[in-house]
Amino acid sequence: MTQAPLSVDRIRRAVSALPTTRHEDWKYTDLSSAIDISTRWLQEDVSRAPDAASPQAIAALTAAVDADWIVIENGVPDPSSFPEGGDIGIERLRHAEALADDPLARLNSALQRDALRIEINAATEKPLGILIIDEALSGAQVSQATIDIEVAPGCDAEIIEYHSSSGDGDHYSNSAVTLHIGESAKAAYVRIQDRDLKHVQTARFAIELDTDSELQMAGYDLGGGLIRNDVDVNLAKPGASANFNGLYLAGDDQHIDNHTRVDHRVGPASSSQEYRGILNGRCRCVWNGKAVVHEGADGTDARQANHNLLLSDKAEIDAKPELEIYADDVKCAHGTTVGQLDEAAIFYLRTRGLDQRAAQQLLTHAFAAGFVNRAPVAASREAVTALVEARLSTLVREAIS
Amino acid sequence: MLEIKNLQSRIGDTEILHGLSLSVNVGEVHAIMGPNGSGKSTLAQVVAGHEDHVVTGGEVLFNGSDLLQLAPEERAREGIFLGFQYPVEIPGVNNAYLLKAAVNAKRQHQGLGEIDAFEFLKLAREKMAALGMDPKFLNRGVNEGFSGGEKKRNEILQMAMLEPKLAILDETDSGLDIDALKAVAEGVNALRRPDRAIVLVTHYQRLLDYIEPDHVHVLSGGRIVRSGDKSLALELEEKGYDWVREAASA
Repeated sequence: MTQAPLSVDRIRRAVSALPTTRHEDWKYTDLSSAIDISTRWLQEDVSRAPDAASPQAIAALTAAVDADWIVIENGVPDPSSFPEGGDIGIERLRHAEALADDPLARLNSALQRDALRIEINAATEKPLGILIIDEALSGAQVSQATIDIEVAPGCDAEIIEYHSSSGDGDHYSNSAVTLHIGESAKAAYVRIQDRDLKHVQTARFAIELDTDSELQMAGYDLGGGLIRNDVDVNLAKPGASANFNGLYLAGDDQHIDNHTRVDHRVGPASSSQEYRGILNGRCRCVWNGKAVVHEGADGTDARQANHNLLLSDKAEIDAKPELEIYADDVKCAHGTTVGQLDEAAIFYLRTRGLDQRAAQQLLTHAFAAGFVNRAPVAASREAVTALVEARLSTLVREAIS
Repeated sequence: MLEIKNLQSRIGDTEILHGLSLSVNVGEVHAIMGPNGSGKSTLAQVVAGHEDHVVTGGEVLFNGSDLLQLAPEERAREGIFLGFQYPVEIPGVNNAYLLKAAVNAKRQHQGLGEIDAFEFLKLAREKMAALGMDPKFLNRGVNEGFSGGEKKRNEILQMAMLEPKLAILDETDSGLDIDALKAVAEGVNALRRPDRAIVLVTHYQRLLDYIEPDHVHVLSGGRIVRSGDKSLALELEEKGYDWVREAASA
């Protein structure tokens, strides 16, 4: 398939329309670096081939989890990685429907030349893995993934979305993923974001749940210089249940922003989310969880929680739960906490012979432990554990030294 | 084994210990009694190395060497165990994991290899059975959701696994019903050995009905004002702490 040509003018317009911090939803997250990278990339030849990711890197990442992997390299799906026949249907599209009418969706649309539509029609032996890998060796580069996923009614699907990037160049990715979970279907979904510590990502994930369907999702933000994730969950059919959690680990110079929005349009339906963050050094994280219970959505159960552990006094967190309730018979709960490691617990562990560092490490890992052990896709747990442990160990080492 | 000479300490701007001296020999069980605020728990915390307590004078020797130079974990590895009055709950850290990490920290200090996983489990189960603890506590978060009695048993379990040279048990009897108190006391008695010293810090004489001390000291105003044998505890119970305060100020 030949790729759709890009319109530089259209991209330029979309970039210039990106939100600034004057916009309420972008108050804490400044997209200047995304605009700068995009502008420099547009000044060069946008049609030039991007840097290739190393086959070894791809092999190592896909070997980490026993899954059927689809590889999207610098925004371009690799057809040789598509599973053949069977219960997963894959179609390459020149253009997918725009997700939402917002500036990032318009930019995604302007940048689109190769979108994927994935249909999961029956439970598969192995989870479906989607590796989104970007390489930027020098200069400024922009690439993105656009994926529509459809889980057929009654089907049990397991999906892993893994974002990775490397290279000394500047990179910006603006991906858009939609997931539709059919009637009485179940989706277990793991998102891992392990980008280079200088790279920039904005990612929108729009999920729609059909009658009696279920979502179990966990996201892990381990890398990235500037990361903004928007998760939109639409509960428009009765009996649906969406449970999604997120863990973000941030060190010096990282900015990780998780914005979630759940729309309860009918009842009964339930949603619950818990985000946890471990922050060290000069970094900033944002969690903004919005739940809207629309008129008539009686029988709604919406819960949200955000807990943060600050290992450094230079780390900053903006935690903002937002509930808008326009129905009567609803259960809603939210809670946020921000704290440091418990000194009493550190002393207790030291009196048992663990040194200061081991005690801090143990307590920090304990803060994340439940999230790692409960990763919804069982096949991903070992890899998730290894990635989280590795990143945490670095953060704790930096915090103590 | 433990030699405390003229120890003075403060926390923040408040002076707590005012020239406390105490000598504990190997194989002995000492009881430190005293009214609230007399400095009992401070003494336990200073010996264990809590950094909020600043030692402003005096010395503490453990088997002849300066204990105050050591970090809390070094003291633990040298064989000092503090049983907490309020054991800390640590969700997310498995009880078995902590026990094993503690045992291994000590073994490493002694130049031994890590304990074999099977051997560890066998040992832990034995010690738990002796303390009347359900083995399921091994897989729970450290003290997470434990009752008062379960927490204190868990402290004694840690002590049993770590085999300290000197154990300081801070208000091990507080908040326990009679069955839990007996179980904890039996656990402590089982750990009495000629090569180990135990210091019981307690407000009430009750614990000493079950663990018989060799020496009893009364602490008041940050120093030991009276020492004697176990009959001193009974005398205290009868006459109350005011008697000691009066005697001290006389």
